[in-house]
Amino acid sequence: MNAASKCKALFVALLVSVLLPTSASATIPYHGYTYSSDREVRSIAGYVYAGSIDGTEDPAIGALNRPESLYFAEDGMLYIVDSGNNRIVQLDRDRRYVRSFGDVEGPGALSEPKGVYVKADGTVYAADTKNGRIAVFDAAGAFVRDSPKPESPLIGSTFSYSPSKLVLDKRDYMYVVSEGNTQGLLQIDPTGQFRGFYGANHVGFSWSRLFVKLIATEAQQRKLSAIVPAEFSNLELDAEGFMYTTTLGEEVNQLKRLSPVGVDTLNLGTARPYGDLYTVGPFAMASFIGVTVSPEGIISALDLQTSKVFQYDKLGNFLFSFGGTGEQNGLFVTPSDLKQDANGNLYVVDRGRNRIDMFRTTPFADLVHEASTLYVDGRYSEAEALWQEVLRVNGNYEMAYIAIGKAMYKAERYRDAMDYFELAGARADYSVAFKEYRKEYVREHFAVFAIGAILLFVALRWGAPRLIRAIVVRRRQAIEQSGVQASGQTDGEASSQGSGQAGAQGPGAGKELTR
Amino acid sequence: MSTFAMMGRILAKPFDFFEEIQEPGMVRVAQALYIVALAYLVRMLTLYAAGFSYQSREPYEISAVQELIWLVVPWATWCVAHWAVSAILDGEGKFREIVYGSAFALVPYAVCMIPVTLLTRILSLDESGTVQILTLAIYAWVAWLVLLKVKILHNFNLGKALFIISLSIVGMLIVWFAGILLFGLANQFISFVTDIAKELRLRA
Repeated sequence: MNAASKCKALFVALLVSVLLPTSASATIPYHGYTYSSDREVRSIAGYVYAGSIDGTEDPAIGALNRPESLYFAEDGMLYIVDSGNNRIVQLDRDRRYVRSFGDVEGPGALSEPKGVYVKADGTVYAADTKNGRIAVFDAAGAFVRDSPKPESPLIGSTFSYSPSKLVLDKRDYMYVVSEGNTQGLLQIDPTGQFRGFYGANHVGFSWSRLFVKLIATEAQQRKLSAIVPAEFSNLELDAEGFMYTTTLGEEVNQLKRLSPVGVDTLNLGTARPYGDLYTVGPFAMASFIGVTVSPEGIISALDLQTSKVFQYDKLGNFLFSFGGTGEQNGLFVTPSDLKQDANGNLYVVDRGRNRIDMFRTTPFADLVHEASTLYVDGRYSEAEALWQEVLRVNGNYEMAYIAIGKAMYKAERYRDAMDYFELAGARADYSVAFKEYRKEYVREHFAVFAIGAILLFVALRWGAPRLIRAIVVRRRQAIEQSGVQASGQTDGEASSQGSGQAGAQGPGAGKELTR
Repeated sequence: MSTFAMMGRILAKPFDFFEEIQEPGMVRVAQALYIVALAYLVRMLTLYAAGFSYQSREPYEISAVQELIWLVVPWATWCVAHWAVSAILDGEGKFREIVYGSAFALVPYAVCMIPVTLLTRILSLDESGTVQILTLAIYAWVAWLVLLKVKILHNFNLGKALFIISLSIVGMLIVWFAGILLFGLANQFISFVTDIAKELRLRA
């Protein structure tokens, strides 16, 4: 291939990569973007709208009414929390109606449920929010038992219990989000006993609060709004027992991955803002209300403020964002939850529109997911080719530069790594690569550096003192000479000799001659 | 004496320098402006030529005009405010001397920041302590020269020099406040006049 045809091929590739998303933008009502050095830049959309479930496609289901949440069981069954109809609908893999949970009356009747969890054997745990209990149904749809408000001195008698989301761990302990509760997730054992709060958020230190505490009287302090920790809004448990949570009312670290002992392992030692950067302003911070995690650890979270879904890799690096507020397919009216199915499709529950929207990945997203999965496992060199492909399709994708830089660093190609880190604006990584490169450079040019150091030493040890001595001697001579001349002159003239320059002697002598 | 010779003088013998500039005919305001221009050039150089790991800003975030304003405005208001304060409080310095001395106090910055900037190109972030200490030393040197200037030019003792410096800083803030106030008022006035003109044009 000669240069011209290469150029042409590149142009066609560019054209295709540019045209494909634009030609699709008639159907995608949002644009893909990513962040480069904290600035928003265009990117290729990672997810596109691929249909909806609203219950009207099958008369057996019946129209959904204010759906709140959904759950994918391990066998591919889909459970929809149809809150307005006080039921949980079970659909099979082909989205055909199987049965619904929630009796018309009696102890099995649900009242505006908001969450559901289904065990591997098909047992359904419904967060029966308005009734303030967890209702348990067997796989056939019959009400088995319920778990009412737990009693414990830790909880207190004034505690208002409205369970909205729950998961079960391997021991069948329930982890329950109770709306408005700021103490953490409620841990309830299989017998219905309260076992303590889990993973509570903390109130950080604040100078202004300390100041107020010092200044304000007790009566004034009582009038101030109470400072309470932020409340959890949603949760999901992965196969390894890590709990992913979303937190309301915080600007940073709204997404957390809690270890079994309740330590956040996603944002270790950092304060990272999730959601949109800078676009929404300080008074409209992101409020995440849904979270789902793929088996590879890719985290997708739903933000109610912007009605957008944000996706992050296992380390919390931003990958994709889609959605928004609006009426078109692909935007949401009032989203309430999201879940990922086994094929990697995302399902977003749109409560305001009484339906569930499905989103499939674009080939670009598949590529990024594959590359990112290798990358977060530390298999940088395997991921490198994939990231190169990502860059070929989309040169704006900053993540790829960092990943390739790390691959090159690992392959000891420090100079190349520096270039990639510079493109990504990753100064800390750049500095580490630079240090290695410097070491290598000095080693390669050791002779030059060694001779240079010896020469410098010689120059400083013997050359510099000699030079200084020579200058001092010359200056002294010049002053003596000018002093001799000045003695024969008037006082006014003598002051001009203060310059102390040896060269001043010549013109001075000339002047005297002209007089 | 040439600007270059004077730069050598203030670096090597700052006490003599400030004594000498009180002699008649030593102060040339053009030289002071050269030094400020040099300091500005060095400032731009430190922003652009620093090693990548040490660049605190992206290239698009650097504005040559903004940097100029950030250097010249504080420097000029310092000269004016300091002259005003010291003239009231028995300072002996003349305005020309203050301008000259304030400009030449920037010489350590203009001279030494270049090697430090070049140093950032061969140091990694682990070694940032060196750069920080050197930079701090340069700023301390500049501050020391400013102190000497105030003390020697006006023939103050140390305590009074420090007192005058803090008063001058307050004076600078007042000048800025007045400037911003004037700017706001002028803005309001201009928009008032243009609004009247618009009104007249639309109604007549």
